[in-house]
Order: sequence, then structure tokens, then C-alpha cells
Amino acid sequence: MLTTYAMQIIAAIRISFADRINFFLQMTGMAVNNGFFFLLWILFFAGFRSVGGWQFDDVCLLLGIIMTVVGIAGILFGGYRDMAAAILRGEADALLTQPKPVLARLLARESFAHAWGDLVTGTAMLATLAGLDATRMPLAMLGVGLGLTVYVSASVAFASLAFWIAGARSLARDLTDFLLLFSSYPGSIYTGATKLIAFTILPAGFVVLAPVEFVRQPTSGNLGIAAAAAIGYASLAMFVFHQGLKQYQCGRTPTSS
Amino acid sequence: MRFMPPTHRGEASFINVSASAFAAARLGALQALAAWPVLLGRVMFYLLILVVLAALWDKVAAEQVTPLAGMLPPEGLAIYIGVTEWVTLSVVAIERGFEDDIRNGGLEPYLLRPKSYLLQRVAPALGETMVRLVVLGMAGLAAVAMSGRPLPAPGALLALIVLGGLGCIVGMMLYVLVGLAAFWMRRVLPAMLIVQKLSFLLGGLVAPISLYPDWLFSIAKATPFGAHLYWVGVQTVTPSARLFCIGIAWQILWSMVLGALCALVWQAGLQKAVREGL
Repeated sequence: MLTTYAMQIIAAIRISFADRINFFLQMTGMAVNNGFFFLLWILFFAGFRSVGGWQFDDVCLLLGIIMTVVGIAGILFGGYRDMAAAILRGEADALLTQPKPVLARLLARESFAHAWGDLVTGTAMLATLAGLDATRMPLAMLGVGLGLTVYVSASVAFASLAFWIAGARSLARDLTDFLLLFSSYPGSIYTGATKLIAFTILPAGFVVLAPVEFVRQPTSGNLGIAAAAAIGYASLAMFVFHQGLKQYQCGRTPTSS
Repeated sequence: MRFMPPTHRGEASFINVSASAFAAARLGALQALAAWPVLLGRVMFYLLILVVLAALWDKVAAEQVTPLAGMLPPEGLAIYIGVTEWVTLSVVAIERGFEDDIRNGGLEPYLLRPKSYLLQRVAPALGETMVRLVVLGMAGLAAVAMSGRPLPAPGALLALIVLGGLGCIVGMMLYVLVGLAAFWMRRVLPAMLIVQKLSFLLGGLVAPISLYPDWLFSIAKATPFGAHLYWVGVQTVTPSARLFCIGIAWQILWSMVLGALCALVWQAGLQKAVREGL
């Protein structure tokens, strides 16, 4: 299964490389976009120094992790972005006749050129501004891996709503965007209901906040929380997707033209 | 063949164009209302953003770590953000329609029609934008009332409605330019994100640009991004007739400049498409 996945995603990446000028424009555009967002935070911290105990290097770590997560997700699991539309268009039909897992095939069907821009800016930020030394860099990579698992899993769970809801394309994208929104701000601002949302429905807490906490304080407790969340959300996504697929195989899934 | 004076024909044409644009705008508005779940999703997104950003600024204002924090309005920046996000989220993502049409060949049938493609695309989006303005505006007011924060004065509210509408038009022109970039770029997402982030930065989406250093403030308030957001939002921080007039002037100026630029880019793109294909 892994070999098939690797072959398919390599083909998708090569397609994204095919038009070199466009690839460069997409990648640079995304890097510039991230640069502007980062500039906003520079101005913010120049004026206000800290927010709820979070300082500039904490936000750099947070942004570095979320940009790297979104970059890797877009390059290696790009199909997650429009999976709901693929389900609603009936694209799973052809995949069901093949022996390989449907979810993997759907995830590997696309790779985004602009995601390289996220990856480059995210790793550059982690390497230079996040205040990480050589010992903490592997921890940051582990944090990225755990955050990536939660991010892709949550996105797959959102997209799986398309097995039941006709308007799920827009809904799934909106939920993923909400998740990114929650993941782009210091964790200290979330209290009460917003904190509950950030650690459940829109698991920004586990995509970035738990990994940030783990990198800052690498205790077994913090690692356990981040790892349990990754396993939990991955299991949930698999369960929801396969329940939905059963629904699809029975012909009960709504379709779009 | 009957002779028809050019002026007469011009007037009739203008009336026809206006009528068809109005009909298209009305259609867009009705479509937006029919797709009420999408509208509801947008309202939820709006409220969620307000919660997150209001929490950020409340935290900053409560901590008062630097003198700049003391310059924030006593009631925080929640209303300011409510207004700038209201304008931002009301503008329809028109660039996606342009990208689809240009990249997937959907443009060709339009070119055979006697109506202007640009107008037939922009007018429905404008209708939809106006529906969003009303719905999100009501949701924002309800959220402010429920949060216990003071509502803007009636005069300021009227100013916000006028400036908000014009701010949306400026925003839409910016996104039309992004969409027309599809003549040269395969996907316009990066261009869209850059414009979005420039609105963040130079428009003052999450904080008034008056908090920036003077040199950056002077630049930002004169940009189309300032006309899109800052001149609307500033009415919630320092409401005044003078700022209202300056804001309107910038918005009208940028609407005209960006409108002309859209027409030029469209002509250039069309010539490229005819010459080289898509």
C-alpha cells in the first residue's frame, strides 16, 4: 500500500512541477503571503511585546509548525483539500473497483505547488526565528509529525461529511479554514468555550498548541497528550470515512453535477 | 437603413446596460438568499473570527504591557474588528469564477453574447455582496448587543453603512484584478492570498493602521487596502464627519482607478487569449 501511495503522490508532485513558471509563481506567491502574515506579527510584537505570556519566538514556533504542517499536507496529502468534492462527484466509484485502499488513493490524487511555499517558509521560520537549538529541532520535527496527523485526520473527517450531506464541499472547506484560523493565533487567548472548541471540533489545540507545548517543555506527559491526540484523531477519521464509504457503496450518498 | 443619432443610441445602450446589470445583480442577490446554508456558514465564520480576535485584543488591553496598549480604545477593538471583518467577509470570492472561466474555457460562450463579460460577472457578485452585507451586519450587531459592548451611535452606524458598501466595491475590484490574473497564472490562489494579506497589513484588518509607525500609516491609509477597510473601521474608533468625508473621497478615487485598471487588464488578457489561446 505504501509503495502505491508513494508512486501516486510522486506522480502528482511531478505534475505540479510540470509547468515550471507556474510552479515558481505559486510557490513564491505563497511564501510572500506568509511573509506578509509574519510581518503583521512583527508589528504586533514590536508594539505590544507579549500576549498572555506568549512572546515573539513562541509565535514564530507556532507559525513555523502550522506552515510546515500545511505545506507537507498540501504536498504529500493534497487530495484532502477537495476530497468532499471528489466524493460528491462520484470519483470514489472507480477506486472501489481497485484493490488498493480508497482513502489513500483520494489523498494522493493531488499535490499543490503553492504548498512548497508553506514548507519553505515554515522550515525557515523553525530553523531561524523559533529559538530552537540543535537538541530541540528533532522535537520540533516530531511535533510537526503529530500536528500533521491531527490536521490531515480532521480534514478527512470534515470531508467525509460529503457521504451524508450534499453541501459538504463548502462546509468541509470552511471547517478546515476555521481550523487553520484557530491554529494561527497564540494559545493563551483561548479560554472557556473557545478553548473547548480548539481542543475538540476544530482541533487547533492538537495541531499546533500541544506540539508547541511539547517542544517548549519536552516532558513525557506533553508527548503523551500530543501522541494520543494524533492516534485518536487518525482513528476517528478512519472510522468516519469507512462508515461513510459503506453509505456510499449502498448508493445513499448525495451527488453533485 | 434608418439613421439613428449616435447620442440617442448611446443613451439607449447605457440604459440597456444598466438594466441588464441591475437584473444580474438582483439575480445574484436572490441566489445568495436561496443558498441560505452557505450564508449561515459565513455568519458562523464571522462570529468565530470575532470571538478569536476580540479575545486577542481583550488580552492585550488587559495586560497593558507596553504604552501602546494604553492607546487602545477603552472598550477594546472588538467593534473595529467586527466592522473590518464585516466588509472583508461580505465581498464575494469573485476571483474563483474568473479563474474557472478563464482556465476551463467557460469564457468562450460569454464572448459570443452581446453583454459585457466583466459586467455580467461583477453585477451578480455585487448583488450577493449586498445580501451578505445586510445579513452579516445584522449578525454583528446582534453579537455586539449580546456581548454587552456598546453599540455604535446611530450617526456612526449610518456612516458605516455607506463606507461599508463602498469598501466592498473597492475590495471587489481588487479581487476582480486577482481573478483576471488567471490569463497569466494557472491558479490565482497565491495572488488572492497576497491581496488578502495586504488587506490584513495595509488595510488594518485586525488592528487600526493608526497604531503603526507614522511612515507606514501614511502609506497604508492612501492605498486601496486602506480604502477597502481602514476608512470604514476608523469610524468605530474615532467617528467624525471629517474622517467620513476623507474616507469617501479615497473610496471613490480607488473605485474609479481600480475599475479602469480592471478594464485595461481585461483587454490585455483577452488579447493574449485570442492571440495565444488559454
